[in-house]
Amino acid sequence: MTPLHERRLQLTRREFLGRSGTGLGLASLTGLLDPKRLMAAPVARVGMTRLPGLPHLAPKAKRAIYLFQNGAPTHVDLFDYKPKLQQLHGKPVPDDYIAGKRFSTMTGKADGKLLLAPVEPFHQHGRSGAWVSEFLPHTARIADELCFVKSLHTDAVNHAPGISLMLSGAQIPGRPTLGAWLTYGLGSDAENLPSFVVMTSVSKGTTCGQIFYDFYWGSGFLPSRYQGVKFRGSGEPVLYLGDPAGISRTTRRAMLDDLAELNDLKLREHGDPEIATRIAQYEMAFRMQTSVPELADISREPASVLDLYGPSVKEQGTFAYNCLMARRLIERGVRCVQVMHAGWDQHRSLTTELYTQCRDTDQPSAGLVADLKQRGLLDDTLVIWGGEFGRTPFIQGNLDDRKFWGRDHHPYAFTSWLAGGGVKAGLTYGETDDLGMNVVRDPVHVHDFQATLLHLLGIDHERLTYRFQGRDFRLTDVHGKVVHDLIS
Amino acid sequence: MRIRTSLSLGVAIIGAIALIGKTSAAEASPPASIAFSRDILPLLSDNCFTCHGPDEQARKAKLRLDTREGAFGKGKSGEFALVAKDSGHSEVIRRLTTSDPDDVMPPPKSKRRLTPAQVELIRNWIDQGAFWGRHWAYEPPLRPPVPPTAGEIRNPIDAFVQARLAKEGLNASPEAPRATLIRRMTLDLTGLPPTPNEVSEFLNDSSLDAYDRLADRLLASPRYGERMAWEWLEAARYADSNGYQGDSERTMWPWRDWVVDAFNRNLPFDQFTLWQIAGDRLPQATLEQRLATGFLRNHMINGEGGRISEENRIDYLFDQAETVATVWLGATFNCTRCHDHKYDPYTQRDYYGLLAFFNQTAIDGSGGNPQAPPNLALPSPEQTRRLADFDGKLESGVRATELFEAGKFAREPGKPIEEAAAAKDLPKEVLDLLKIEPRDRDVGRLEKLAAHWKDSDPAYVRVIEENRKTRNDRDGVTRSVLRVMVMEDMPKPRLTYILNRGNYLKPGAEAGMAVPASLSTGNTDSRSNRLDLAQWLIAPENPLTARVTVNRFWQTFFGMGLVKTTEDFGVQGEKPVNPELLDWLATEFIATGWDVKRLVRLMVTSAAYRQSSKVTPALFERDPENRLLARGPRFRMTSWMIRDAALAEAGLLTEQMGGAPMKPYQPTGVWEEATFGNKRYEQDHGAALYRRSLYVFWRRIIGPTMFFDVASRQTCTVKTPRTNVPLHALLTLNDTAYVEAARGLAQRVLRSSARDTERLSLACRGVLGRPPTADEQRILTHGLERHRRNFASDPAAAARLLEIGETPRDAGLDPGEHAAWTVLCSTLLNLDEALTKE
Repeated sequence: MTPLHERRLQLTRREFLGRSGTGLGLASLTGLLDPKRLMAAPVARVGMTRLPGLPHLAPKAKRAIYLFQNGAPTHVDLFDYKPKLQQLHGKPVPDDYIAGKRFSTMTGKADGKLLLAPVEPFHQHGRSGAWVSEFLPHTARIADELCFVKSLHTDAVNHAPGISLMLSGAQIPGRPTLGAWLTYGLGSDAENLPSFVVMTSVSKGTTCGQIFYDFYWGSGFLPSRYQGVKFRGSGEPVLYLGDPAGISRTTRRAMLDDLAELNDLKLREHGDPEIATRIAQYEMAFRMQTSVPELADISREPASVLDLYGPSVKEQGTFAYNCLMARRLIERGVRCVQVMHAGWDQHRSLTTELYTQCRDTDQPSAGLVADLKQRGLLDDTLVIWGGEFGRTPFIQGNLDDRKFWGRDHHPYAFTSWLAGGGVKAGLTYGETDDLGMNVVRDPVHVHDFQATLLHLLGIDHERLTYRFQGRDFRLTDVHGKVVHDLIS
Repeated sequence: MRIRTSLSLGVAIIGAIALIGKTSAAEASPPASIAFSRDILPLLSDNCFTCHGPDEQARKAKLRLDTREGAFGKGKSGEFALVAKDSGHSEVIRRLTTSDPDDVMPPPKSKRRLTPAQVELIRNWIDQGAFWGRHWAYEPPLRPPVPPTAGEIRNPIDAFVQARLAKEGLNASPEAPRATLIRRMTLDLTGLPPTPNEVSEFLNDSSLDAYDRLADRLLASPRYGERMAWEWLEAARYADSNGYQGDSERTMWPWRDWVVDAFNRNLPFDQFTLWQIAGDRLPQATLEQRLATGFLRNHMINGEGGRISEENRIDYLFDQAETVATVWLGATFNCTRCHDHKYDPYTQRDYYGLLAFFNQTAIDGSGGNPQAPPNLALPSPEQTRRLADFDGKLESGVRATELFEAGKFAREPGKPIEEAAAAKDLPKEVLDLLKIEPRDRDVGRLEKLAAHWKDSDPAYVRVIEENRKTRNDRDGVTRSVLRVMVMEDMPKPRLTYILNRGNYLKPGAEAGMAVPASLSTGNTDSRSNRLDLAQWLIAPENPLTARVTVNRFWQTFFGMGLVKTTEDFGVQGEKPVNPELLDWLATEFIATGWDVKRLVRLMVTSAAYRQSSKVTPALFERDPENRLLARGPRFRMTSWMIRDAALAEAGLLTEQMGGAPMKPYQPTGVWEEATFGNKRYEQDHGAALYRRSLYVFWRRIIGPTMFFDVASRQTCTVKTPRTNVPLHALLTLNDTAYVEAARGLAQRVLRSSARDTERLSLACRGVLGRPPTADEQRILTHGLERHRRNFASDPAAAARLLEIGETPRDAGLDPGEHAAWTVLCSTLLNLDEALTKE
């Protein structure tokens, strides 16, 4: 992109044109609309525009919701059913499963580690017969809507690098994340809201100490307006959103009218188009002061809808609340919502905290899919559920001490599910060996997964690039193959 | 043949049109003759180097096009890639133009393609003789002659700028109004706006050198160092915590204060470099020189459980090598961590050769100690005195113990203690403790000894207890002494290995300490420690350090570097918009002894800097980013500068320099939410709230919320974005600090005069450096009346507004009036002009 082009994309002058009819107290700005004073920029939609040439292909999905499960959910206890694990419970891991593999320092060498049977029983569900354990009854009920990918594998063994790889394509922080790429490529349809929104939660009483680093939703070297805007879990969702005490809406409006008029004088005198952008952004800020609280006002959601998400849906900062917000956000044109829930790091809590994790995430996740479906939004909304790696089929802890059973980090195989947005509902893709240790059929590397997600959204992952430090960067680094078999 | 000729002529015409079509301001005039480094190398680099470049592993068909030998040699197919003056026999041209999908280059699956115009350019270059050269940035800068010019010039910068403008058929803008100039320069050199008095003094100073004297005054202000330190802290990834999970607090701020002081004292940049890279290795290194090496230790530290120490240690070395490469060489060294560079002449060996210089400390990467040794203890005078007191007390305590034990465990001289009668039946553990010299018994040992004799020998226990207490107190003081992580090499060198794909578990060949081979000059064998590296960085023949550095300073004042890619001076970086100016500045910088203040003064006293920043649509279209400088710089101030300016304008700013970081207003719960309650934000009170932004506590995993478009302070950053989004507006409209600043400014103007016009004038002069225009006065006065009416009808609202912020307000002021003026002042603080360096 040339600097001029880049500049034009940044310019909100067209946003200005686009919204001149709805200008609030902007009568004085009509001078701006004199075509002779304007650059010959195309008049486009309000908000961030999509890049020329995009989408590269007919999109199956128009937006994405990533239900990211930080800490690595245990695939062998939730989705990847292995009867042999049951049979070999308490027996050492056979050597050929672990030869040459690297685990976290907590495990060190895996030799001689004892296999651990799944904590809860598994059943097959729906017409598809997908296996889901009793940990996730609500997910089990919508199994026919889901596409399980059981053959994911990654390069990272620790959380932050693993999550970074999953979301940005690189273990080291500093690359743009999926949501940033989507906004950069596809632009925004949200008039009054940021186009990439992030919300985080953790189950109450969890011992997990994982941090939500801001690079999980960073824009890396992309311009910072593509960075995810994190809505807070308590108080105002956006920092500094509320007017100061004593400033009424009327006062604020009056003040912004003056400000716009004064800035317009400056623009006429000086000519710097950045001033026009500033005027527009102050107006957007004013609108967000209304649109964000409106977004967060769920009083008009019927009980039947709230019930889908489970009992904690009304409590700000819970996963259930965030799932509902995710739906409300995409309804308002937001391109990508990343809902993150921490605490899946069951090193010693498979029989304790794992239940809490599932209680707090199972119903909301399933409820969101059902809610999207009943509104006809599921067809063009891609929902992704999963974490950064899996957990070891062998035990961490002492077999005799059931209360502290745990599993360590496991990069060699894990499960995620997809729903809506052009994926094959009811499909189970890929397979691990009979212990859930290694992928044996249709492996899907993180970069393949990402290539597929982009493909569903109409993007050729090799063509959505950004030049930085002399290199064309992309989400999938220099890797990634689209898994066409997942796509309906 | 005739058809071919006319075809290529056609292509050439289309090419010419295409070239004009894509002309941006920076490259408006088509090249008169083709220059290899400017015109050809980028094409080869973009399209060919991935497979035919410096990376040996990735090289296809054994052909390399990044060296003269490779490009003119015979390829695997037996053809010559390039034959000078004969494009017809150059395989490159055939491959670029063939329609055979197996032969065509770049291969279709690479999705790269040259335009016909680009192919034509290469063809012409070959036919003109295929003159080869090196990428410009790797040739030492030669001092270019100052071009003659007809326009007004104040120093040689202007001659270069105007020569470039003349080439484009553009004219410089007239000088900006003086009120604009003093605000522009004061913001640039101190990060604070001029006071109304400073403005009027300057406006009334009709002497010819008034502007130059202003520059001198600002450069001499202690605020200058505070302002200049910011970008250096971003490059140095300075922060007050480790980063990562745990994110322990560290105490690197004495290093930060050293940076401020170094700028204020005008420490020459070569010394500034030398001290930070290798101050500890200078002969008779001073405390200050050792402190400066904290630069290298500002990297993040990972204390996450389960992390492998060696992996951490290697990560820190990566960070050190890459930071130094970015800051001094403008090199994207991170690419060479895993393989030879795809575009630039840096190899993976170069990477580990550079890393080897830093691989000599005793740091082992374990744990998350935020003061991991080697560190420098910086006791306060009080602590030094107390430690000396304790040492004296301890010495007498040790003597008392020796005396007591000589009596208690009396034995023949030379015999071990177990032969003493009183030691006969002692448990082994106690006996072992007694064998330790009294001066080496720490608190824990003394506790055990005291416990053993608790009931049997109260006199002995008294002696032990006395020692234990002194030691305990002394340990307490020692623990509270500031420690700054610094560099210090182990006596015995550690070997460094090339790591396969950067994996610490896969060491390959050994890599000795070395500077990048392609840039190396002089005797390379003797480089054996960081001092050698530092000296190479500042050697006059180093082609990069001076260029990269002057470019960063240029970026600071003009908003964008002469090379826009501040972080990348390689083949894929941007070519300088005015190469002669860049090289003149670089050579001038070296010739004047790396004198930073002199360089800065040169920039801010140039006519180019002093131009009006007004822009016409035509000029904007031509040069949106103002690369050519046909107008003065105008851009939104950095967010930290906006905060400092608001505090200053409100009369709230605390000028205290240096010291421990402070915590200003921040919405509640931000740290708590990001750290699951592990880190509580305890806001400061009183004067600390109004200290400059430089001193705000920087938590790495959740940075201060009152800043935007700043470096994350996680890794080296030499260029920050400048965005314009609604969240910025929300901050300056609603943040407590800005509301309080508006209230403070309102109070100032209300006290200054009883007349609205005078008050308004003072407020505008404080914020904008100028009185309001008639139109502005009309709008603001009208607004003020509305605000008055609003607050008159709702006095409670006025009271609530005036309660925001911790500074007490002058209770003598009418609340409704004060509130109305507060809203007006908030309007002023949010004006585009107030947020902008114009």
